[in-house]
Order: sequence, then structure tokens, then C-alpha cells
Amino acid sequence: MKDAREQIFASIREALQTLPERKPHPGPPSGAADPRWLAEETDAAALFLKRAAAAGTKVFTDAEACADWLRGLSARVVLLAENVTELTVDALSFAEVVSVFDRNDPDRIDASVTRAAAAIAETGTVVLTDETTPDRLAALAPWTHVVVVRRGEIHRSVADALAALPDDPNVIWVTGPSKTADVEGILIQGVHGPGEQAVLLI
Amino acid sequence: MAEQQIDQFTRRLDGKVRRAVRENSAAGTAKRAEILAADYGDPTPLRRLAGEIRQHAIENLDVHLAKAEDSLKRNGAEVHYAVTAGDACRVVSDILSRAGARKVVKSKSMVTEEIELNGHLEAEGIESVETDLGEYIVQIDGDHPSHIVKPIIHKSREDIARSFEREGLGDYDDDPETITRRARAWLRRKYFEADAAITGANFVTADSGRLVLVTNEGNSRFCLAATRLHIALVGIEKVVSGDADLAVLLNLLARSATGQQLTVYTEFIQGPAGSGRPSGPRETHVVFVDNRRTEVLASDCREILRCIRCGACLNVCPVYRQATGHAYRGVYPGPVGAVLTPLLAGKDFPAFADLPKASSLCGACNEVCPVDIPIPDLLLRLRNRAHAERLPSPGSPPMGPFAAMASRPWLWRMALRSGRVMDVGPVQKIPVPWMRAWLNTRTLPEWRGGKFRAWMRDRRKGGDET
Ligand code: SF4
Repeated sequence: MKDAREQIFASIREALQTLPERKPHPGPPSGAADPRWLAEETDAAALFLKRAAAAGTKVFTDAEACADWLRGLSARVVLLAENVTELTVDALSFAEVVSVFDRNDPDRIDASVTRAAAAIAETGTVVLTDETTPDRLAALAPWTHVVVVRRGEIHRSVADALAALPDDPNVIWVTGPSKTADVEGILIQGVHGPGEQAVLLI
Repeated sequence: MAEQQIDQFTRRLDGKVRRAVRENSAAGTAKRAEILAADYGDPTPLRRLAGEIRQHAIENLDVHLAKAEDSLKRNGAEVHYAVTAGDACRVVSDILSRAGARKVVKSKSMVTEEIELNGHLEAEGIESVETDLGEYIVQIDGDHPSHIVKPIIHKSREDIARSFEREGLGDYDDDPETITRRARAWLRRKYFEADAAITGANFVTADSGRLVLVTNEGNSRFCLAATRLHIALVGIEKVVSGDADLAVLLNLLARSATGQQLTVYTEFIQGPAGSGRPSGPRETHVVFVDNRRTEVLASDCREILRCIRCGACLNVCPVYRQATGHAYRGVYPGPVGAVLTPLLAGKDFPAFADLPKASSLCGACNEVCPVDIPIPDLLLRLRNRAHAERLPSPGSPPMGPFAAMASRPWLWRMALRSGRVMDVGPVQKIPVPWMRAWLNTRTLPEWRGGKFRAWMRDRRKGGDET
């Protein structure tokens, strides 16, 4: 498609030729995009938990409480990702624990526990990458998804998280459970992804 | 004659649809204002900054697009270009046929609506399923989205329940939760059956070569988790200079579109998943689509290319709330559509020249726009173009008589005095066609013409000052 490329670039250059000058970049936003309350928040972990809860994410700081919650949801089959050490097969003894997502039986797994690459305090977001979540389906298809985050991994702001975006084929920020308001503006959770999103902060 | 197309549509519109759209839009406007005020106080400086970031991007498009292409290739993606809508469709079907792909899942994308990709694929015997809940319903109904962010704002739950019943998704049930669960189960099968995923992109970063995609439902993520071939169709104007720009743009996009801090899923895609990964595409193709964007760039309305498709200008617009999305007869309704649709129509401009006039120029669209597009100015420029091209203007009252009156004081005085008859006679019945057309959709206040003059006269005489 070399011709199409050249044609488009020629049209762009021709269009831009008429400009007396081109607008310069306004420079790095340096905090302009931070909400005004962000400066007062000094504890990134506390802010992360608060904002995550506000986005509809269940928050846990204790592995046992998280396991109890899963039991309470009567999760019978739980996928536990291999790189998660904070929750163990023993702690999940009430369920059948698997480590591989089977795309031939995608609804067999009730809940999954996977590792985050990072988190964002400002928005209560968890950051997943192919590096830490090699099977994207494991973190998406089950109704309930728990992400394990470590305190040292929390970015303060969206701007900080963008500055630290890793080189990874697919980085995804998850802020709350999957949702829609397409039907008469009524909010429903769990459209294609988890209806229950949780974080376990260690 | 005597009525523009948009007015004809509006007059025939079902009152229930109008009410639903108005309420939903008003709620969207309120949520946007609330979160922006809570988080930024006055969002104007941030909107201006976002506008500068986007204006810079489009005024340096040659540089940034070339850079984005290099970065994407470096990341392992293949880059294609398409001049016309037809070219874009052909590029997609070529990629699909080379891979032997027969079934496709799609994540909501305005540019694919623009190029009518679904129809093209269907004609080629390729199944293409929309996965965004609203877009899926639009697709099974053979309908068109009527809002950029809320495609089925014009449909009721009863409409949807009937469609689902017809399509075999279960017996009639209009509970929104049930509707959503049924779509979840149905579309899940489609993801796993699909050979390829087609998405759009909200932004493309030149420096790092990332496609940025936002969804609340998680459907684009599912598309890119379940399939092995990814094709992204991207308007050339979506390029921004770098990751740092996204702090401003993502924060404003989510708040303006849905009143959220961030959209639930914000995905940054650099290229195919590494070999040996259990999920994710093996191939990533990016198709940069012109489809007359370079014409818009050459026009005096290039600012519209800043648009990040948030839908805030639709929600706030009194004309959109009254007319609803389909009245705009294009992919982009509301104020943004009133600018973009005529521009993207090329030589069919005259067919859409009524749209720029479907505005009271109240300025609300500019005030809410996260990238500060001066939409009212652009509407005026397009009106001027229509005038310069001597296009007919049905429904517009002739201005000649007014000019004659306004420049002759005696005639003006007489008209003011005789205007009083309008309070006694039924004005809606005035037998002048253009006046009747105008009055059909408007009510006149009580005639009080001449009072100011009388007051001035009294005042000069030193009379009572009321
Ligand atoms: S013109 Fe502005 S307000 Fe309207 S959709 Fe585009 S970005 Fe949003």
C-alpha cells in the first residue's frame, strides 16, 4: 500500500502548507491533569484503597479476609496464577484450584487470582501487563477477579503511571468491574469482564 | 418545501424517544459538570491545554504520523494506509483472507461505522459481530447508533427485549440485568469462535507506538484476549505526540463522556503478544484511514479534527436533545456531526448543508468540549460556505423584507404598532409558508413591540419612567 501512504502524506503536507506557522507543543502537563485534591493525599496506599472502593472494586489488605470473601461467594473453582504467592492453595482449600484457563470451558472458573504489574492511587486502578498476566483470559473471563498488588508498586497519579508505562505488547488499566449503561442508562456490572473486581493489597 | 430535513425528522419523532434522549442527555451533562468541578474546579484551563495538545498534533500530523508508523513497526505491528472508505474495507478483507479468517468480533469503532465495514464484510461472506452491548443491539436491529458513546440511547428496554427474543437469545424479558447476562453468554461464544478481532483506537502515540483503547464493558480486551489476529482501524487524526499527552486526554475523556475518573478498561497496545503466550494476537495490523480527513485538514474547519469523540457536545445541545441522533443522518450526530458530516461528505456537501444551521449558536458545545473546539465558529464557517455555493435554504425566512423595514424608520414604526394583532390572531395559522414553517417549532412571546419607543418619547417629555 505504498501508493496510499504517499498519497496521504502528500495531502497532509499540502494541507499544512497553508498554515502561516504550526502550533508548538504546549509542553509537559506537569501536574495540570492532577485533580486538585491529589496534593493533600500523602499516603498513596490509603488513597489507592479509597479510590478503588469508589470505583466499585472490593478492597482487601489481608489474604485471609480475601479468601473468606471468595468462600462466601461460593467460588467452587478458582484459578490461582503461578506468580501469586500471597494466596495459597491451602488458603483456598474450599475450592478446586486450577492454574490454567481452559478456553473450551470458559465459564467453569468462578474466580481468578492474578498479579498486577502496578497500581494507580489517584484512580484506584490496577495495571496488568502480558509480563505479569500472560493469560489475558484468566484475568477477564471469570465472574470474580482478584488482583494482588504490593504497596511499593503504587503510582501516585495517572501522569506518573503514564511516565512509567512499560514496554509490553498489552498494558491494561482496570478501574472497577466491567460495566454498561447502554440499556436506558441503567448501570449493570459484569458485561464481558468480571462483575466482581477485587484487589488484595499486601 | 419550506422545511429542512432535520426539522422534518424532528417533527415526526416519537415523543417517548425524545423524552428518553432528553433525560439521558441531561443526566450525562450533569454528571460531567459535577465530577469536573469536584476534581478541577474550573476545567477551562485543562480543556484549553487539551485543545493545544490536539491542535499541535493535527498541525504536525505529517511528523507524528510518520513517527507513529515507525514506532508501531518497531513494536512488531504492521502498518497500512487507506485513502478512501472503500480502500479501507479492502485492506481489511485482504488481511482477513490472507489469514483465512471467516469470523470476526468487533469492538465499537466510529471509523468502521464511517466506512460501513460490517456491510462490506457481510457481502464477502465474513461474519462480523459487534461486541459492545449497544452496538450489538444496533447490529441485530439493522439500525444505526444515535449517539457516539450511547449508541442505543433511542431504544427502550422493551425494544431490546423484543429484539433478543427474535434473535433467539431467550424468551421476552426486559429486565436490563437479564438482557446484559444473555448478551454476555451469547457474545462469549462469538469471541471464542472468532478468527480475528477488529477495533478502533482512541489515540495513537507517536513516540511509543501505542494504540490506546478505552471501554467500560471490557469487550475490546476480550477481543484481544480470545483471538489471534488484531486489525485496528484508526483515523489518521488520532495521533498524539506521546504518552505524556494522555494524562490530560484520558482524564478529560472519561469525565466528559461518562462522568468517570477513568474508563474501566484503558488498554495500551504496542503489538502482537510474544510467542509462547497463551493468549493475545500473533499479528497486529494498524490501518490508518484518511477518508477525507486530509480535506478537513486543508479546510478552515480543521479544528474539528481535535475531537476525541466524548459525546459531551451531544448531551448538552438543545437541538440534539430535541431532534435526537438519527436526525443528523450521519455517523456523527449532534454539534460535532453538524460540522463533521458535511465536511466528510465531499461533493455531497449540499445534501448536509442543513446541519450547520441546526444550531442556535448558544455556545454550550464549545463550553463542554474537552478539547475546546470552537464549534459555533465552525458552524458559521460552514453556513458561509453553503451561502457562497448558493445552496437553497429551505425554512429560512427571506431577510429582504426585514432589511427594507429595518432601514426605513416610518415602516419600522408602523410594523411595531401593527404587530399587536399577533396577540389576538392565531399566529400559527398565518398563511405565509415560511412563517408557518418557522412557527411550527417555536412559540412566540406576547407581542410588546413599541414599548421602548413609547418609553423614550415619554422620557424626553420628562414623563413617568416605567
Ligand atoms: S466535539 Fe468536543 S465535545 Fe463533541 S464529541 Fe468531540 S471532543 Fe467531545
